[in-house]
Amino acid sequence: MSTHEQRMSTVKGKQTSSKKKGLNLLSALRRDRSLYLLALPGVLFFLVFKYIPMWGIIIAFQDYSPFRGIQGSEWVGLQHFTALFGNPDFALLFRNTLAISMLNLILFFPFPILISLGLNELRSVAYKRLIQTIIYMPHFLSWVIIAGLTLLLFAKGTGLINELFTLWGWPRVDILTNPDSFWIMVTLQAMWKEAGWGTIVFLAAMASVDTQLYEAARMDGAGRLRQIWHITLPAIRSVIIVLLILRLGDIMEVGFEQIFLMYNGAVSEVAEVFDTYVYRTGIEQGDFSYSTAVGLFKSVIGLVLVVVANRVVKRMGQEGVY
Amino acid sequence: MQKVGKRNTRNLAWIILVVMVMSVVLSACGNKEEGQVSGNSGNADDPLEVSIMTITPSAVPAADDNVIKRAIEEATNSKMNIQWVSNNIYGDKLNLTLASGDIPDLIMINDPFGSTFTKMVKQGAFWDITPYIKDYTNLSGGIPDIAWDTTKAADGNNYGIPRPRPVTGDSFFIIRKDWLDRLNLQVPETTDELFNVMEAFVEQDPDGNGTKDTTALAAYISPDDLGWGGNLGPVLGAIENSFIGTNSSWKWDESQGKLVYRELLPEVKESLQYLTKAYSSGMMPEDLLSLKLTQARELFKRNQAGIIVDKTGTMRKIYADDLKKVDPSFKYTDFYPLTNLNGYNPKGSGYNGILAIPASVPEEKMKRILQLVDTWMNPEVFEIQQFGIEGTHYEVVDGKKVASSEKLTADNASDFNHIVNVIDLPWDTTGETDEETQANELFKKVEAERDKTSVADLAAGLQSETGQKVLPELNKKIQDLKAKIILGREPIEAWDAFVETLRNDPNFQAMSDEMTEAYKKRNGQ
Repeated sequence: MSTHEQRMSTVKGKQTSSKKKGLNLLSALRRDRSLYLLALPGVLFFLVFKYIPMWGIIIAFQDYSPFRGIQGSEWVGLQHFTALFGNPDFALLFRNTLAISMLNLILFFPFPILISLGLNELRSVAYKRLIQTIIYMPHFLSWVIIAGLTLLLFAKGTGLINELFTLWGWPRVDILTNPDSFWIMVTLQAMWKEAGWGTIVFLAAMASVDTQLYEAARMDGAGRLRQIWHITLPAIRSVIIVLLILRLGDIMEVGFEQIFLMYNGAVSEVAEVFDTYVYRTGIEQGDFSYSTAVGLFKSVIGLVLVVVANRVVKRMGQEGVY
Repeated sequence: MQKVGKRNTRNLAWIILVVMVMSVVLSACGNKEEGQVSGNSGNADDPLEVSIMTITPSAVPAADDNVIKRAIEEATNSKMNIQWVSNNIYGDKLNLTLASGDIPDLIMINDPFGSTFTKMVKQGAFWDITPYIKDYTNLSGGIPDIAWDTTKAADGNNYGIPRPRPVTGDSFFIIRKDWLDRLNLQVPETTDELFNVMEAFVEQDPDGNGTKDTTALAAYISPDDLGWGGNLGPVLGAIENSFIGTNSSWKWDESQGKLVYRELLPEVKESLQYLTKAYSSGMMPEDLLSLKLTQARELFKRNQAGIIVDKTGTMRKIYADDLKKVDPSFKYTDFYPLTNLNGYNPKGSGYNGILAIPASVPEEKMKRILQLVDTWMNPEVFEIQQFGIEGTHYEVVDGKKVASSEKLTADNASDFNHIVNVIDLPWDTTGETDEETQANELFKKVEAERDKTSVADLAAGLQSETGQKVLPELNKKIQDLKAKIILGREPIEAWDAFVETLRNDPNFQAMSDEMTEAYKKRNGQ
């Protein structure tokens, strides 16, 4: 709020100090009007679907009743937040969310980079295209289908993998209802689905590297690995950093659909995350204000992380996201 | 060249802008129109425009121009705009609809004691129909008193029309009689006998195909069933209920003079030990935590499990016709309902959800909606969804209507039972074939037997404010722990420890006291 006011006042100050600048803005608007028109749908989208609904966040500070509406509902201050922090399950939710998220960051995040480096080194364009198409595919499957496939393959009783294991005389493994392997299971699942799709940005960045650089390096006797290390990686460094910062903002999001579908009673203590908790309290139990408070808490952490990470990156002399 | 390109971009931009403005304007018009329609309560002779939301068990719900819907509309002088919602997601959809504030004129509330609905009732969001009921003969006379009584809100008023269900014929065990016969086994009457039958179903190849590929009980545990059958859901819950002797979450303890929460009872522990043993012996699907109701049903339909828990009325529509394709020797009478287990069988609560009318509906229209339901319950109107339309769905043979269940199902006839249902019709056992008639006679006989010993939920309709707050989380914890114990992940001692902490929880004690008080108040003590 205060930053907003500050910005308003600086804008005003500038306006009074120089009228020329306002005129410049107008003429700039006129000059690039087709570009602005093109941007309009996007801007409207964010206004209508992202910014306007945001005012509903205030129900996190109310005892919201659908019948009374936002105007008529009672204000309760920070009651829902104290209830959240005082909840004995809060530590559990926090731990599970962070654990799954960190695994994603450590295992999942570098994976598309490795794949793209590998793909970039392929000589045959046709072969590269083929591989790309195949690894993009899972991205277009919905989580419901992937959860169903996982069940068909890994179920302890009737799963294909376990049937094979029995055939070979190996013991059956329990993957779906095993709390010890749940985190790694969902991480691998997410990697299988999204890693291929994640290569798009990196491959695009690699494609823009000047081939003369590679030629020069080869002349100097650099091998494949040296070329990757000294040319390709530095070239895509800024892309990696931007994506990493954005990823940090999502650290409290762990893919609701996936966790929800893989959730069952036997893994509840490792599978319950903020997103599933919001769903249960908000949609199933109808406690709208409380679940909004949980969601808001989650978003604030994400925002803080993005801002901090961006600062750190800038201090290190790199380009940030803004 | 460049100039042309620029003009093209400009044109494109204008087109986008125009399209967007148009769509905004059009959608605004659409809203206006809709608003006018639902606001029209109109002349008393005009058809009543009414929006309805209810459950559908069908994969493809009845369309707006469904012949049966049209016939009912004509008979009741109404124009219904029905929103059919799959029963798998009804609870979520209902909460979202209530939250949106845009509530249909007649809305099915599947749990009249759910927290969102009760909260809104307290704030006056729904019509108290208590003073009006007596003006409608079918509402007051055609719906059993037990249904009106158990759906009363905490203040003693009725905020919806209960959808009546027979108190006999609640979901209970159904067992493959042909499997029993093949293995020379008797119909089980106790949980121990059931255990022996289940063991035989696993070990002795009941389907006679030469391999040990069957399980006994088509069980599953799903978060959708929280609060039901000790949070184990219908199937495993039915076993636990048989141990306790009630399907209620509460049991009256005469010596202490108060209601005791079911999870504290020693029988629950016995039942858990029983289930743990049954699971480790392969008597239920190994992946029961990953299954849902429909998948558990599949096991029975595919000849892989011999015991389910359901209503006898589901025989043809859900199980038998599919099962016959897999096992042609299966007969309808092999779908054998148990009468009692440990001398217990459940008595239904007499209702399944209520139909509520939001307070935003004007009084005149509210009365006309009550009138609509009342007229719908007249035999000549209700027969439309029972038998369909003459010539299309049924023929009159010897003065009796003989309907084709296939054609009725094709037109979603029974879906309309999820809006209005009449239950005191004499049970006609005549089926399409002799085989079906025999099965219906068997069901009728068993249900008459069940009726003598059935136990009702003594806490049905009782409410505790603390309970509403703590139960959702508590129920989930209980289900998770029970599931872990049954799978062998936690020892049974974990249950003892849990019960001990529960007993000392102040919230839990408050809930027990409030429930006891509500129970005593209702029983006039």
